[in-house]
Amino acid sequence: MTAAHVPAERADHRAGNSRPDWAAIRALAARDLLAVRRSKAVMLPMLLVPALLLIVLPIVLAIAAGRSDPGGIGRFVESLPENLSAPIIDLPENERIIVLVHGHLLAPLFLIVPLMVSAVIAADAFAGEKERRSIESLLYLPVSDRDLFLAKIIASLVPAVAISWIGFALYALVSNVSAWPIMHRVFLPTSLWMVVILWVAPAVALLGLGVMVRVSARATTTQEANQLGGAVILPLIFLALGQSTGLLLLDLPVAIAVGLAVWLVALLLTANGARRFARDRLAAQV
Amino acid sequence: MNPAPPGTPAPQAAVTVDRTAAPADAAIRTEGLRRTFPSGVALEGLDLWVRRGEVLALLGPNGAGKTTTVRLLNGILAPDAGSASVLGHDPAVDGDAVRRVTGVLTENAGLDDRLTVRENLVFTARVRGMAKREAERRTAELTERFGLADRLDQRTAGFSTGQRKRLALARALIHDPEVLFLDEPTSGLDPSATRDVVALIGSLAADHGRTIVLCTHFLGEAGRLADRMAVLDHGRLHAFGRPEELAAQLWQGVTVDVDLGAPCPPATLADLAVHDSGPTPTGCWVRLATREEIPRLVRALVERGHTVYGVGERQRDLEEIYFAIEARITGAAA
Repeated sequence: MTAAHVPAERADHRAGNSRPDWAAIRALAARDLLAVRRSKAVMLPMLLVPALLLIVLPIVLAIAAGRSDPGGIGRFVESLPENLSAPIIDLPENERIIVLVHGHLLAPLFLIVPLMVSAVIAADAFAGEKERRSIESLLYLPVSDRDLFLAKIIASLVPAVAISWIGFALYALVSNVSAWPIMHRVFLPTSLWMVVILWVAPAVALLGLGVMVRVSARATTTQEANQLGGAVILPLIFLALGQSTGLLLLDLPVAIAVGLAVWLVALLLTANGARRFARDRLAAQV
Repeated sequence: MNPAPPGTPAPQAAVTVDRTAAPADAAIRTEGLRRTFPSGVALEGLDLWVRRGEVLALLGPNGAGKTTTVRLLNGILAPDAGSASVLGHDPAVDGDAVRRVTGVLTENAGLDDRLTVRENLVFTARVRGMAKREAERRTAELTERFGLADRLDQRTAGFSTGQRKRLALARALIHDPEVLFLDEPTSGLDPSATRDVVALIGSLAADHGRTIVLCTHFLGEAGRLADRMAVLDHGRLHAFGRPEELAAQLWQGVTVDVDLGAPCPPATLADLAVHDSGPTPTGCWVRLATREEIPRLVRALVERGHTVYGVGERQRDLEEIYFAIEARITGAAA
């Protein structure tokens, strides 16, 4: 048998075991991403929901705005709380609904995208590994618990943030193009949207991931993890409802504060998940 | 339980564990290894060792503690007490160092069915630190050896148990490990593949000096491969040593089969005044204190008018030894 060659410097590097082994982490994360790309059960909801929220919805709204009764929209905007209606009230009547919905009301709803994508991939990466009984072969690899965990975090977080950002770029494009006949200018992204995309969305992705890591420690199947983790979606839906009914006003300072709170909770959850992600505990469950 | 072969005398002596201190060249060594789970004790005070280049057959019924032993030796479970060493590394302290030099075939192949044969192997090789070209070369070499070369770019979903097992074995060998842990390596394989895998395991130990721990229920396979055997039951080690040493403890003296061309009459057997004896379809078996008594036995039979066509000293095979040990364990428990 021809001997396999592992470079000595690599082996020496690993012997130290103090720094992350990025080559192994990259290989592990790439394997998880490849497996996810090939799974229809994972890919369909991951693409369908963003497509509906970020592409279909703005087109429908633009069409609806073009056909709506300007007087009715004016009365609706005037009935909103002052700080929500202030940036809109001075706009021409047929632009009001576009700016209101695209610029403000959809922002919290958009956060479902990073949340859902990271949660779905994390459920596959953590609980799915147990369900497929492939976790044991991973545990026999010379990779530290920390690096194994880090690879799975990267494999879940990177696509969630990437899909959110690419999705938002498409959303902005579709919104600006479809509303051009009414707006005659580029109105997205707004400063609120930039905060939501760059600050809140990654935090929400990590939150979904953190919850799913915790849930997956108990769940034995991806479906079970998804059902348990689904409870995380509810606060976001309440946030969106709150925004749309004026109960919760997501202006810039509030968005930054919400983002900070989500980061803190998400980091705590993930750190706790990392502590629990130990070979001994995982092997005992196999 | 399988019945003992005909003419098998009941084991006489107690089987003991080889308490000889582990030799300096031991590749694997455990001392008082213990592990419990909420469900109970999985392993209790395990003491064993394996020399470099040896095959150890780790035997026992389901739930005996074999898988727990493999996991402890690879540092994926931590012991409650005791210590272990694999090629000088302590799995509880530096599991990564151990896992770099070991390859493990788990009972369940544990493949990701969304990946192809190539992707499963290259992924493992890359995580183990091999350069991409080297990983591809080893993948090609091993898939050729295990008859998977024509399926290199097929996803493993829908593969038969045998194909999965062969791929998992290739994965365990991808980095050419010094120590191999093989859990049921031939279950699900057809006879031809079984023969090839048994030959490969034998060659890895004999020709390449690899140390192998073989967990199996196929005692014939273990008998062909094992230099040393350990029998676990309910987490306790009940026997450990070379099969011939354990046989010598189980059955005092030597047992010979005598070919008389026909079953030996009971009167003749009673006349022989030996420790123990019994008829066989072609003569009898007789237990003697030493080999030196064989000529006297032949003379006695000839004097009684029998024609002796042949006399052969019976070699206990691993299967016979295992069931004798299990009978002792069951007897002790009763």
